[in-house]
Amino acid sequence: MAFGQDLVGAVTSQLLVGLSRAMILFVVSAGLSFVLGVLRVPNIAHGSLYMIGAFAAFTITALFGQALPGFWLALILAPLAVAVVGLILERALLSHLYQREHLMLILFTFGIMLILNDLVKIGWGAEYRSIVPPDNLTGSLTIGDLPLPRYNLFLLIVGPIVAVAMWLFVNRTRIGKISRAAAVDREMVGVLGINVSWVFAAAFVIGCFLAGLGGALIAPTTSITLGMDRTVIMDTFLIVTIGGLGNIWGALIGSLIFGLTQSLGLLLWPQFAVVFPYAAVVLVLLARPKGLLRSVW
Amino acid sequence: MLEVKAVSKFFDDFAALSGANLTVPDGSIVAVIGPNGAGKTTLFNLITGQLKPDRGQIVFSGEEIQHLPPHTICHRGIARSFQIANVFPRLTVFENVQVSVLSHQGQSNRLFRPASSLLVRETTEILESVGLGRQGRRLAGTLSHGDQRTLEIAIALGSQPRLLILDEPTAGMSPEETAATLELIKRLARSRGLTILFCEHDMDIVFAIAQSIMVMQHGRTILQAPPDEVRQNRQVQEAYLGGVDA
Amino acid sequence: MALFIVVVLLLPIFAPSFYTYVFALVMVNGLLAMSLNLVLGYGGLYQFHHGVFYGIGAYAIALILTKSPVPWWLAFIAAPIIAALFGLVIGWICIRSTQLYFGMLQISLGSLVWIITSRWYDFTGGDNGINNIPMPSFLTSGKEIYYFILAVLAISIAVMYRVVKSPFGATLQAIRDNPQRCEAIGVNVRHHQLIAIVIASFFAGVAGVLYVGLERSVFPDMLFWVLSLEVFVMCLLGGWFTFAGPLVGAGIIVILRTFVSIYTEYWTMIEGIILILLIFFLPQGVVGFALGRVGRKAQAAEETVQVSERGAKV
Repeated sequence: MAFGQDLVGAVTSQLLVGLSRAMILFVVSAGLSFVLGVLRVPNIAHGSLYMIGAFAAFTITALFGQALPGFWLALILAPLAVAVVGLILERALLSHLYQREHLMLILFTFGIMLILNDLVKIGWGAEYRSIVPPDNLTGSLTIGDLPLPRYNLFLLIVGPIVAVAMWLFVNRTRIGKISRAAAVDREMVGVLGINVSWVFAAAFVIGCFLAGLGGALIAPTTSITLGMDRTVIMDTFLIVTIGGLGNIWGALIGSLIFGLTQSLGLLLWPQFAVVFPYAAVVLVLLARPKGLLRSVW
Repeated sequence: MLEVKAVSKFFDDFAALSGANLTVPDGSIVAVIGPNGAGKTTLFNLITGQLKPDRGQIVFSGEEIQHLPPHTICHRGIARSFQIANVFPRLTVFENVQVSVLSHQGQSNRLFRPASSLLVRETTEILESVGLGRQGRRLAGTLSHGDQRTLEIAIALGSQPRLLILDEPTAGMSPEETAATLELIKRLARSRGLTILFCEHDMDIVFAIAQSIMVMQHGRTILQAPPDEVRQNRQVQEAYLGGVDA
Repeated sequence: MALFIVVVLLLPIFAPSFYTYVFALVMVNGLLAMSLNLVLGYGGLYQFHHGVFYGIGAYAIALILTKSPVPWWLAFIAAPIIAALFGLVIGWICIRSTQLYFGMLQISLGSLVWIITSRWYDFTGGDNGINNIPMPSFLTSGKEIYYFILAVLAISIAVMYRVVKSPFGATLQAIRDNPQRCEAIGVNVRHHQLIAIVIASFFAGVAGVLYVGLERSVFPDMLFWVLSLEVFVMCLLGGWFTFAGPLVGAGIIVILRTFVSIYTEYWTMIEGIILILLIFFLPQGVVGFALGRVGRKAQAAEETVQVSERGAKV
């Protein structure tokens, strides 16, 4: 019996780990997917913006104290800072490239990734950093016999909030509706007399905000370091692809598949746990090369 | 030669074609007319395999072809031009036609023989027959719009078709270019014994060269008849003069 | 040009071994970039993860030489063929989609190969890669390996040139320009693209083999998507509508990386800046730009000849 209970405990805690990881992946990939849907640009620099979000969260908590209000400020200010970086990039550079070939836009974001990588190195150095969340988010909540880490539970609340906020934004606000229309039919939006360029800018900035938010959210759970951009961008690319390019709900489903296969895979075959999500992605794409949900274009 | 039988095609809920019928006898010139959105281009895309019909049959030379992919249909003997100029802009005019001739001769997959020496005579002959003989070395993307449309016909001829389908061959052309294209189509039909199926907005052209006219509206065939009969038909007059959606 | 060939041929004799090494690296990367350009510039495919086939070629020869009794010459032939087989499988899955979906699908399949390679410690050495790969006795000094790479590169270029100029190559370029039109003239577009991917992955595999000859080690980063995009940049820098452009692009990137890294640790930033400058100011690439100028001059010359002829007639 004891063995059975251990197993239930292990599965439950891995489920929680997987779900909370999925929530962070969702926040990041929702931003990537939104930009992809509206601008049709897979933003390779998205991972770098996520990394900047994490480093910014570190600096802000260092300035305002580890507990209160530092972390909460970081959750708001770090994404905003990343959004400002995004706005500058979009207005100064990217906005001049919309008429160009698609591949040029993709390579442009790769160039930005390379530059941001070294700027982070200059700004924060190559050391490992870490932050501690405030007291009421550390430690575990014990339900039954199971200790459930509070921070993971917190992430389970944040993820759905972001999902609902995105849904409300796209369906209930004017700019959201316009950006959705721009994703489907660019010319129509131009005909309506709306400045498409600013719609693109808004979408890009929102995407950057979500990347920064994802970075700030992951900061207390991992060591913040150079190179954290490279795996997250690949993972979120795959999530967005299996979800259906530009589809926010697809990003949610993809994130859940990605997070859960990895954490449950750890129980099955620890050495190859990280392989499971990629194998799952390949299986999904073999069955549905265009992703699970309908792509917006 | 070609028989389209009760073909339908749906895009989501929208019926682009619902029960279109068409007969193209061997050696004839047949025109398809109808207002914008009547389904003419969809019909052509179904015949050449770019789209698959949801219902109905398409029979070419006694064989159902509606399930075949475009490249196979081409090898059976149907070639086409497209509504918008649809050439290979970064290749030379010569190469544009040569690629088509190579494909027809089954040589597209040859890996180690220089293409520049292959099928030069055949390609040059086609270019000269459409009047592009002197433009061979130019990049296709730099040709005038009218010449690009002519090149399109030349590309189609490269596959030595028995049936040539032209989607609005004179759209966007100047009056002189239109007249020249008209002569070209007539000449091709005569000298190569081609069967030609085309659609066109310009009624003067249609009545000048078509031996049979099929009239479409809302994805349906209204009638197919010789030009004189079509001109007299009340339903056609209503479709065009009533201004339903023209 | 003739002078350049002489320099390349004699380089190991008069130059310090470091330069010989750098130039050998240029040739390996150049072959990789040219193989990518077969499908990118000539085929118009979004081959986002070409590096995978390079890495597979390198791992294949490393594994054969360290773990099997197979003679070295067979390993040298088998490794590119293994890369081509992976190209066949991955390509077969990817060509069901087009453009961005093609590219994303390839990244996901490539990532699977990468993650397995970096975790399978028993077989691939995992993150540590494989080191001290034994080479046949005639490939031990820097000079020997230089000439070996040069010879293989020359043969590969000759073969790729024939492919590009063949009916297959002409048809491939037609597909790049207009796939729909190509179907309508009887070309089996997907079949054709798949063959192109297999050929390109074969030569990427050859480049991987040459890399192992030069470095005698392999590591999982060779299969990571960042390397693939760097090869993309080499093609763009040289000009992806030119045959030799990617080789030149690879030369510029490798030489700059080698010498800039001596002075600063911020090479990636410089690479990023070069890339963005290219996109804004020189999208046709260095070779494309040079050819464009020569072409304009030739055209101008031709026109003046025509004018003077007309003048003579009058």
